[in-house]
Amino acid sequence: MNQEILRTLSPASRHYYLVVGLLFLVVMAGAVIWYYQIVTGLGVTGLLHPTMWAPYLVQFVFWIGIAHSGTLISAILYLFRARWRTAIARSSEAMTVFAVMIAGLFPFIHLGRVWIFYWIIPYPNQRTLWPDFQSPLIFDFLAISTYLTVSVLFWFTGLIPDLAAVRDRSQGIRRKIYGFFSLGWTGTDRQWHHYGTAYLLLAGLATPLVISVHSVVSWDFALAIIPGYHSTIFAPYFVAGAIHSGLAMVLTLLIPLRRIFRFEKIITLKDLESIAKTTILTGLIIGYSYIIEFFMAWYSGNIFEKQTFLFRAIGHYGLMFWIMVVGNVVAPLLFFCKKIRTSLGWLFALAILINVGMWTERFAIIIGSMAQDFLPYNWGFYTPRWVEISIIAGSFCLFLFLFLLFAKFLPSVSIAEVKEDITPLHRGKGKRDHHGA
Amino acid sequence: MARNPGLLGIFPYLDDLLAALRNLKEARSNILAVFSPIHFSEIQVIMGYKPSLVRYFALIGGILGGTGLVSLAVYAHLSFRLNTGGKPVLAWIPFVVPFFEGTVLLAVIFTVVAWVLKGRLPRVRLTSAYDPRFSEDRFGVLVACKDGERDTILKILKDAGAEEVRDVAG
Repeated sequence: MNQEILRTLSPASRHYYLVVGLLFLVVMAGAVIWYYQIVTGLGVTGLLHPTMWAPYLVQFVFWIGIAHSGTLISAILYLFRARWRTAIARSSEAMTVFAVMIAGLFPFIHLGRVWIFYWIIPYPNQRTLWPDFQSPLIFDFLAISTYLTVSVLFWFTGLIPDLAAVRDRSQGIRRKIYGFFSLGWTGTDRQWHHYGTAYLLLAGLATPLVISVHSVVSWDFALAIIPGYHSTIFAPYFVAGAIHSGLAMVLTLLIPLRRIFRFEKIITLKDLESIAKTTILTGLIIGYSYIIEFFMAWYSGNIFEKQTFLFRAIGHYGLMFWIMVVGNVVAPLLFFCKKIRTSLGWLFALAILINVGMWTERFAIIIGSMAQDFLPYNWGFYTPRWVEISIIAGSFCLFLFLFLLFAKFLPSVSIAEVKEDITPLHRGKGKRDHHGA
Repeated sequence: MARNPGLLGIFPYLDDLLAALRNLKEARSNILAVFSPIHFSEIQVIMGYKPSLVRYFALIGGILGGTGLVSLAVYAHLSFRLNTGGKPVLAWIPFVVPFFEGTVLLAVIFTVVAWVLKGRLPRVRLTSAYDPRFSEDRFGVLVACKDGERDTILKILKDAGAEEVRDVAG
């Protein structure tokens, strides 16, 4: 089993380095353009009154959403003892860590004057200014930093026995590096005893955190008074959306990973099918939320709510709305058909469509609601410019770049947990006969 | 000459290891460590472990984190020089969010630190009894040997199905 999983860590081909190199170049280009934006000011972007929360916050919410399913799959499914978690948990957790890191960049990029970000940190200062702990922006800061820390620690804890396995099969500097990060793990009864308790506790603590983080992100909007934002349904609606997009991203990443590393026996079609079935559930919750939003806009009798939702469906950004409906609600329904959810091509194509749908959902909510609020005098549209398009492209490349590095330098499937699932192979003669192994 | 603290038995099958552990416990042998590539709770049961203390560390971390962050929020709000909104300075309901985040954050950090330290990690050098096969597909048990015990322990390990038994120097 070790060799089966660890062969992914063997020296990479030229194609791998070529792809990684290209991604790195785009990431660097994005960084340079961000520098240009810092030096010149936010005026170089398409940000204009009234759509002051535009693409960077769309990206922020999108990446936070992507970050959700990793810890969700890992923690919640661990608590429920769902076996299909084992093969996909590690790469999902990695996806979470990278997505939170990238999401955390966007408030800084959006800030413009990034060098004063420390104003949000609570500490005694000469300005006698303190952040307001009632503000959802502070909630956000606390939630994202907690989520990043917890996700990294959860991921790292799960990695330790596997890092020891890599250490034991490495030589020279590689052995030293993997040995350092495995903390000297030897798999003794004492270590497993405390490790097991800790992992269960981490899963138990991470589960409510997953739910809370996107709820907190949704309150950035729900606590504002703008029609389209000010809604009590936002917390569960955003959490369902986050899980939906995260599951789709897991499919998007795992299907090529499985093919490239020949993981067909470990990441089975049944595992991918289970993810597809879960997206049917999350897609239905999202569809219900869309309907309820429109129903409440009509039922409330509030003319501003009504016009906002009418504008969302048939206004300037109407196309975004219909892409979101098709991508998030209609596409997952195709997974009801067994032929589609067991076809890798369909799974991959629909996962991409859901990802596109979830991005456009954030666009429709964040930008669409700001574009037309209470007064026609205050209306205006957002048009993207090359600066934010480049930075956004850089963020997608950064995500893929980090994920490719992860897949090549760390075990992308949990070796210890896969072994636990095939325990009969470790059993003595009587048991082996019993299990037929 | 190095002190000879014990015998290391290496097993290909978990059942054989468990049988050896039971027999060693019956013979009141001093089991120093059991090595395993997977987490298997039956080993802990035979070894007679009580529930891990890590959970208390998590509790302490949670209490400290939650109360600590709310205390900071209270301190920050009482330090406001310009209260122009007319709202209560201490808004307890929104403080639920910092309380929750602080609780989870420190509970998790305390849990990780606790399991690492309780597992006697980090270690710069691996113990001499460790065999790289323990991270792959073999199980091991290290038993302390006093004078005159060696033959008995060796027999228990061999009878249980150890594929290899060797002395481990201290």
